[in-house]
Amino acid sequence: MQHFLKSALIASALALGVGMAQAQDLAPLNSDSEPDRMDWSELDAKFGALPDVADGTKVGGVSKTLTNEYWRSLGEGYSSFASAHGVDVVYQAAQSEGDQLGQLSIAETLISQGFSALLFSPQTDANLIPALEKAMATGVPVVNVNDAVIPSVAHYVGNVQKDNGVRVAKWFIENHPEGGKVAVIEGQAGVFAAGQRTAGFTETIEAAGNFEVVASVPADWSRELAFNAAATILQQHPDLIGFYANNDGMALGVVEAVKAAGKAEQTAVFGTDGISDAYAAVRAGDLTGTVDSFPVLTGEVAMEVALRLLAGQDLPRVVATPQALITSENVDTYATTDLKALRATLMAQ
Amino acid sequence: MNNILTKLPFVSNVRFRDAGTLVGLLLIALVFSILSPSFLTMPNIGNILQQSSINACIALGMTLVIISGGIDLSVGPVAALSATLGAAMMVAGVPVPIAMLGAIAVGVSCGFVNGALIAWGGLQPFIVTLGGLSLYRALALIYTGGTPIFGIPSEFRSIANGAVMGVPTPVIIVAILALIAWVVLTKTPLGEYLMAVGGNPEAARVAGVPVSLTKISAYMISGALASIASLILIGRLGAAEPTLGNLWELDAIAASAIGGASLMGGRGSIVGTLLGCVILGALRNGLTLLNVQAFYQLLATGIIIIVAMLIDRATSGK
Repeated sequence: MQHFLKSALIASALALGVGMAQAQDLAPLNSDSEPDRMDWSELDAKFGALPDVADGTKVGGVSKTLTNEYWRSLGEGYSSFASAHGVDVVYQAAQSEGDQLGQLSIAETLISQGFSALLFSPQTDANLIPALEKAMATGVPVVNVNDAVIPSVAHYVGNVQKDNGVRVAKWFIENHPEGGKVAVIEGQAGVFAAGQRTAGFTETIEAAGNFEVVASVPADWSRELAFNAAATILQQHPDLIGFYANNDGMALGVVEAVKAAGKAEQTAVFGTDGISDAYAAVRAGDLTGTVDSFPVLTGEVAMEVALRLLAGQDLPRVVATPQALITSENVDTYATTDLKALRATLMAQ
Repeated sequence: MNNILTKLPFVSNVRFRDAGTLVGLLLIALVFSILSPSFLTMPNIGNILQQSSINACIALGMTLVIISGGIDLSVGPVAALSATLGAAMMVAGVPVPIAMLGAIAVGVSCGFVNGALIAWGGLQPFIVTLGGLSLYRALALIYTGGTPIFGIPSEFRSIANGAVMGVPTPVIIVAILALIAWVVLTKTPLGEYLMAVGGNPEAARVAGVPVSLTKISAYMISGALASIASLILIGRLGAAEPTLGNLWELDAIAASAIGGASLMGGRGSIVGTLLGCVILGALRNGLTLLNVQAFYQLLATGIIIIVAMLIDRATSGK
């Protein structure tokens, strides 16, 4: 059997027409700590205005799922920037956030159609690797856009996940100088963004000295699981002063649990992503805040990076996109559909 | 149509129901090739077959289990568990062929546990494998701590990423497995036993069919095929993730059903199942080429399954 497998192996290796286009020279990417990076706001200053785009440029986007507002908004950003520069966009997503093979099929089918550049938002760190290798073998640039990170990818556009948790921790340190008990509702275990957001929050708030993270439990991005987890934590720690959730869906579940326990005055709740429900909840005073990572703007920046790469510019491996902590104080400044004004506000930040 | 088909040597064995599935596939291919010029090109057909191969591998086992009157909902997690254990062995330096056999042994063992609980424990297949769905997923998550295992050796990856005369190796592997499954089902006693046990377990018992062993072997084959599918996948991905295989059971059941397998047991076809897999793969591929949103792809899949069932009922006259 062994002998057979070995000879089969050698035979297939010889018969291989396909080159293994693995980027052996690139170190596995950590999008938060990669030293070869720049901020989105420096693109124009460092590389000049966007060069003219060649006629017939066609960019393909593959994202997680359109059931999540974040990925719909990202697609809007792709199209708005592309149409302003006369570029065609095809934006496709898998049926659900768990559909790893479906997303791979979509990516491979797009590659076979011949795009100038591709924007991937993979379900997991690994599921789009074959598509990435295929694209690289044909010389099509691929930009990994938020938030799972393909380790061998050459270009990444997205926000600094760790900074997300840091911003919320800083709010607590500023607004509760006396300290207290806080809890974290995490996203899916093993997902890079969830781990980094949680680490950023926990490390920052524990360094302050007088805070205690009494619970940090995964709720798999689910509103219902987050509701149940928060209810249990509140029962155990009635003096809890705040929750930090890794996304807005879970934060809104936590809000319901906090209200049901009659602790809305005492317990602050923070989410992540800045979806429209979260903005409404911040306005209504239910949700204390959310860290908006501006998906439409992120989509625009990602498209700009792709077009700059096509123009031959040598950009750093990571281009960081903006984020901001939204609370009742600044919700009206950021709740704008005017992207130019939003860009200006964030540039001034 | 049938007359033309039966003149070909291989197709003469194809049953009436399989011919119907083939007509369905040809219709879908016709529509897409009119709407999209890149659909019927060689690279794209290779794409469709490659994308369908993993589902086909799972669906072969599922078909045998369904014919025996059971169901195996645990295939995805079994695949994840054997993938992570197999990958860990490879990363730890175990020779690739031994690690592959180890991974398949994991799948066979999971299948044995499912089968034993069903055949000897007298529990319902749906519930046992539903339990397995959580249990094996949990083991994979606990073992890996939720993080993917990277660093799969490139000698192993070159098998899954290779092609022999332009045909991707996964397609060849699954074609060989399908041929074996077809021989088992139509030419061996085990195939007759599976049909008999699924069709009428009491009559089978009276006739001296080893009912329990037949059922257990069906689940063991399904487990083995799940782990082979997972090996193909981790070879392609270069990483083994504990979350791999999510919802594979539903795609496999859909392919079997489109191919004419009856969830009541006693009826099913390997050729039909393969065609069912290609129908699902072609549908997804074609709709992506036409830039149709994922939600409508789901809609189309649902309609195809129900239409296939309606035709099934109309033609079987029951």
